[in-house]
Amino acid sequence: MPRRFRNWVVVWGVVLWVVLELVTYPKDVSVGSGLSAVVKGFFSPTIAAYPAWVIAVAALACFAYGGISFARGSKARVMAALLLVEGAVLAVWSVLAGGGPGGWSAGANESTINWTLQTVAVVLAALCVWFWAVGNPERAELLTWNTHQVWRLYRANWQGMVGLVILVVFIAMALFAPFLADHALLDPNAQIRDPATGELFGPYHAPTPYYYNWFGTDQVGQSVLAQFIWSARISLMVGLLAAFMSTVLGAGIGILAGYVGGWQAEGWMRLTDVFLVLPWLPLAMVLAAAWGQNYWMIVLIIGITSWPGTARMVRSDTLRVRELQFIERAKAIGSSTAHVMKKHILPNVMPLIFANLVLVVAIAILSETTLSFLGLGDPLNFSWGTMLHYAWVNGAAGLPAWWYLLPPGIAIILVVLAFTFIGTAYDEVLDPKLRKREESTGESRFTARGEPAVAVAGGAGVGGSAGVFTPGVQTDDAMPDFDQPAGGSIGRPEGGGWVGGRIQDDEKGGE
Amino acid sequence: MRTVNKRRYFIRKLLNAVLTIVLVASFNFALFRILPGDPARLLLPKGKTDPAVIERQRKTFNLDKPMWQQFVFYWRDTIRGEFGMSFAEKRPVTEVVAERIWPTVLLVGVGTVFATILGMIMGVFAGWRRNGTFDVASTNLGMILYAMPTFWFGLLMIMLFATKLRWFPTGRMAEPGVELQGFAAFQSMLKHLFLPAFTFAIAYVGEYHLIMRSSITGVMKEDYALTARAKGLSENAVLWRHVVPNALLPTVTVVMMNLGFVMSGAILSESVFNWPGLGLLSYESMQKRDYPVMQAVFLVASIAVIIANLIADITYYYLDPRVQA
Repeated sequence: MPRRFRNWVVVWGVVLWVVLELVTYPKDVSVGSGLSAVVKGFFSPTIAAYPAWVIAVAALACFAYGGISFARGSKARVMAALLLVEGAVLAVWSVLAGGGPGGWSAGANESTINWTLQTVAVVLAALCVWFWAVGNPERAELLTWNTHQVWRLYRANWQGMVGLVILVVFIAMALFAPFLADHALLDPNAQIRDPATGELFGPYHAPTPYYYNWFGTDQVGQSVLAQFIWSARISLMVGLLAAFMSTVLGAGIGILAGYVGGWQAEGWMRLTDVFLVLPWLPLAMVLAAAWGQNYWMIVLIIGITSWPGTARMVRSDTLRVRELQFIERAKAIGSSTAHVMKKHILPNVMPLIFANLVLVVAIAILSETTLSFLGLGDPLNFSWGTMLHYAWVNGAAGLPAWWYLLPPGIAIILVVLAFTFIGTAYDEVLDPKLRKREESTGESRFTARGEPAVAVAGGAGVGGSAGVFTPGVQTDDAMPDFDQPAGGSIGRPEGGGWVGGRIQDDEKGGE
Repeated sequence: MRTVNKRRYFIRKLLNAVLTIVLVASFNFALFRILPGDPARLLLPKGKTDPAVIERQRKTFNLDKPMWQQFVFYWRDTIRGEFGMSFAEKRPVTEVVAERIWPTVLLVGVGTVFATILGMIMGVFAGWRRNGTFDVASTNLGMILYAMPTFWFGLLMIMLFATKLRWFPTGRMAEPGVELQGFAAFQSMLKHLFLPAFTFAIAYVGEYHLIMRSSITGVMKEDYALTARAKGLSENAVLWRHVVPNALLPTVTVVMMNLGFVMSGAILSESVFNWPGLGLLSYESMQKRDYPVMQAVFLVASIAVIIANLIADITYYYLDPRVQA
């Protein structure tokens, strides 16, 4: 196993543990409660933040992947065994966190066992990655090498770096919310007082230098700053989870529709077309009104209404990849369809999927804000959209209480811009053709954004072939590019890289 | 030969549109039945749980019949344009929806024209003088507009122009209680229209600007642009006679496609400014859980998308000679 990879696993394992601890950090232990209380807060056994069903889904995923690896005789046998153990740990944990026959609500129970289980789960996850690398040293080598190259190119892109810095600031704000603002101030009755005079600020008080009154007060005299800081958590988390869900759905359907062909592909594309023409906001409003209001539902709603764009994009890239020679070779030596999709198509469209994911996050955050603004958000948690909803219905614009309106809106713009910048920069890193072009201001992404809409027109007609109607993109761009395999173009150390690796795999496995 | 192609092209597009409408309408049927809870109860105002009332409701909406029969009835009613009674307004849904359509068409029309003209002109100048001051400034502005939530911009507009400067009124289409005639009424309506239409337009300006800009850049690299320059035409002639007409194509298509998706923008801009159109109607019906109205608005919005797609296809056929080949 390469040394750099080993260091990674150790570092990211610790980082993951700290992040999970910060996410579940007790809301009632703020920075004012003394150093020892803060330190204890990190080791406090609160587990309120994950719903049991999420842990259960993770457990099932571990069982499934571990079981399949084991049954297939994977090279990383220890990893497969560890995954089964991880699945068992997560299953126990999901039951303890409130799942099981009694119901699958978000459990809010505390116990030392829960804290221990979380720690064990993180350590096991790190060990799984470790033993995966032990079992597949050449792939681990390739992964570190690729990541190193991507980072080297990414660092040179100033827009991407600006986006990254903005994002890191907001993520830090979200993670360290308990230390930045007392959660008790979000209680409906928690009006803030001026420490100098000891009097309540009262509703809609303009900002003063007192920390909690930096952004003034809202319609009941609460600190807007405290709401702002805690809102970052829900806004970012819902955006990330919804984008992840939408991308998984879109990528799966896109690859299927692009590779299998025939009536199945036709069916998937028809489904995508129908979802593409459904006006998403009315649909999301109907679903949110009927399914009740908590942020997991918002994640689900955004996830199932926003995948068709990704599906179209992944499909057209799959169409390109499947014409490449190594796919033909794999088919010639008898690889199954599932094998080709998993081992050849997926790795080659993966960079596109990832770059798209970053952009979908921006859209998902805007979507969450929109739904919350219309009053469909989680009434128990603040997000930036919820803040704007309260500002709107309580007439902050008529006062005008600019201190209440500006911060959430500016935060949304910054975060969305940050994700857009990161996505664009990452795209340029991956696509040498984009990098070489003198225009590097990100319009390629914007052309692509208009593209799925137009592709409906094209796709519906000309035998589902995108590219004919695609505006702004030259036709030869959409043609298969034989001398440059998709993702392989950046990460190809001497002698093959992704492509070579896969083919060796085939010759051995054959299937 | 060409007429045959043309007819085949149009028939195929038309069939596709009809098929999609059928699928979407079926989805609409399914959507309000797969929602958790008893549809009979969903279709009743909140709080009414009298079993006799529910039973009667079940009868009126044919919910006691088997699913396939319900499906047939749904189609019969949809084709006749009957969507039941709105329980918030106690009137037929068709009537409620019909009177809200024109304000939305007005808002969306004015907003789209404004956004298209502004976005395209900005895009043309930005693309023509690449990396110039105007290009950098307007492109960054376009990115910010793209990232900005529409309704937030609307609130800022209210704060600035209605509250602080008092230039424009907000809410509804006219002053309540004042009966104006002729030109004065028109003027008052324009004043009420300005802010919502501007807010609606701003959401699209950024997008149209960026598309137009990249399209201009692409066209300027073409051989015919070089030829036009080489034969000594003035810069203005090259830009307006050779580059812009060719670059319009993708932008026009995107504008057409967006026409179908105006509902999201209309919902936000109309709710913030209380403009009595379909968007406000869907917001109000969502708050009151007025499902028959929501169902109808949803269907109208979906069909608008499909028809906009069809129009885009047809326009494209006439604009782009390559499709006709």
